[in-house]
Amino acid sequence: MIEIRFHGRGGQGAVTASRLIAEAVAKEGKYAQAIPMYGTERRGAPVTAYVRIDDRPVRRRDLVHEPDIVIVIDPILSKKPSVAAGIKSGGLLLLNYPKPPEEVEIGGDFMVSTVDATTIALETLGRPITNTAVLGAFSRVTGIAKLESLEEAILKRFPGEIGKRNVEALRRAYEEVHPPKPAKGPLRPGEEEPPHVTGYGVLKSVADWRVFRPVVDLEKCVSCRLCWIYCPETAISLVDEKPVIDYDKCKGCGICVHECPVKAIEFVREAV
Amino acid sequence: MERLTIKDIPLEEYTITPGSACQGCGPALAARLVFKALGNKVIRHGVPSCPDSVTATPRTFSVFESAGAALTGVSRALKILGRDDVMAVGFIGDGGTYDIGFQALSAAAERNENILWFCKNNEAYMNTGIQRSSATPLYAWTTTTQVGPRGRGKETPRKNLPFIIAAHHVPYVATASIAFPTDLIGKVLHAKKLKGFRYIDILCPCPTGWRFDPSRTIEVARLAVQTGMWALYEIIDGREFRLTYKPKKLKPVEEYLKIQGRFRHLTDREIEEIQRMVDENWERLLKLDEMGEFPL
Repeated sequence: MIEIRFHGRGGQGAVTASRLIAEAVAKEGKYAQAIPMYGTERRGAPVTAYVRIDDRPVRRRDLVHEPDIVIVIDPILSKKPSVAAGIKSGGLLLLNYPKPPEEVEIGGDFMVSTVDATTIALETLGRPITNTAVLGAFSRVTGIAKLESLEEAILKRFPGEIGKRNVEALRRAYEEVHPPKPAKGPLRPGEEEPPHVTGYGVLKSVADWRVFRPVVDLEKCVSCRLCWIYCPETAISLVDEKPVIDYDKCKGCGICVHECPVKAIEFVREAV
Repeated sequence: MERLTIKDIPLEEYTITPGSACQGCGPALAARLVFKALGNKVIRHGVPSCPDSVTATPRTFSVFESAGAALTGVSRALKILGRDDVMAVGFIGDGGTYDIGFQALSAAAERNENILWFCKNNEAYMNTGIQRSSATPLYAWTTTTQVGPRGRGKETPRKNLPFIIAAHHVPYVATASIAFPTDLIGKVLHAKKLKGFRYIDILCPCPTGWRFDPSRTIEVARLAVQTGMWALYEIIDGREFRLTYKPKKLKPVEEYLKIQGRFRHLTDREIEEIQRMVDENWERLLKLDEMGEFPL
């Protein structure tokens, strides 16, 4: 039996990805199980999902604690060593990360492979929904699900233009993924907070929800206060009538960028 | 309502942030704006819903059905304690207002309880995953009003709850939008000064459920008003009627519909049907506004 754990954020499609893998391998005659982990996750909050694949019917019904493969579809979570918690000896860590495996900071007794799925998703879909791109990398690196069966599963779920663009993302990641290397990074699992921190109520920081960061050009700002009044998270305060952004509170929704009447706020891709 | 400019809006914040709402959440902003105007001398009542924004106020909770009854209890307890300075405030979604909570809401309104009720209206049950409510507009896609060979989204227009509440002869009923913060806060400040049952219905777009990019929340909310899909008005004592936003000419509803995924399937004929409905409704509202009277 092969067990997989997904880490992602609400809206990136971790749950959908787990289902697509299950559907794809089922088409190939295997048995599979996809388990979404429901908490109070909203778009942007950390999410996990699990998959089991076997040649025989899968009887286990618990969550996966010692996965063979961990797939992280969010680039910021890809920096947190605890995503690799419980991974089996010789297992695989597949990251959405813009750098090659040699530069991954997580280390341990497993292999690590990377793909820049956020860039692929932005270029093919126009939105940072990274699940289908990561699946292309998964197919190439593990061979567990064939590219064709994943394509079929995607086109069934997303008919029309959206499906075609997702298949494009899948194929590009299949080509662009970095092959696995031993994980030699300095950080080990268990050395920081667990990645699955859901918040009901108030969070400490939502900085890592962002794909883009709003940056104010104070020269252009006309002190109209619109960005301030329209921010749902009070991330913008006024100092001498000019907006100052608290990046621990900013979720990167982009309302301020969109509403600024003089285009004084730029949306800049977050560095990973 | 009180007339304000953006500079009159209080700088104090009563929401504790960052909260766990989605990026670009309309109701999170509605909570922020409403409590800016209310302050924190409030007992806030809630029923199951998305998290919107946590406020620095005491909170009570009940099941969906009993918000009106629970708020009645809060408001009467405050009266017995002699705490005239504290308000009983409901901040409740459209499911808890239009549908499941309606019986107790109607009863509390009819008794004219001393309650301020805000409906954070995102036109469906978003917390459980986008199921239609009676606030969902005509032809909108939801997970329970599917689009396919046998479905075109929701089959009926939403019910006109502000008018229904006004028919309870309560002191104040208003509609508001998060894209018009001065209008919204002006209405809250006015309602705050009154006694009795007050109801403000705030349209708060939901990027997740309405299927648009989170950066366009305000644009969508603004277009709802500018196209006449969501008119801004107030009704005083169930008698006086006043439009608070009256453009010379409405924008075509297409501009509002075409930027949302939940309306992506609409045909030209369906858009025309919605346009006719909105035009007729707007004509009626203009007449009421001209008379200044709510016809009851």
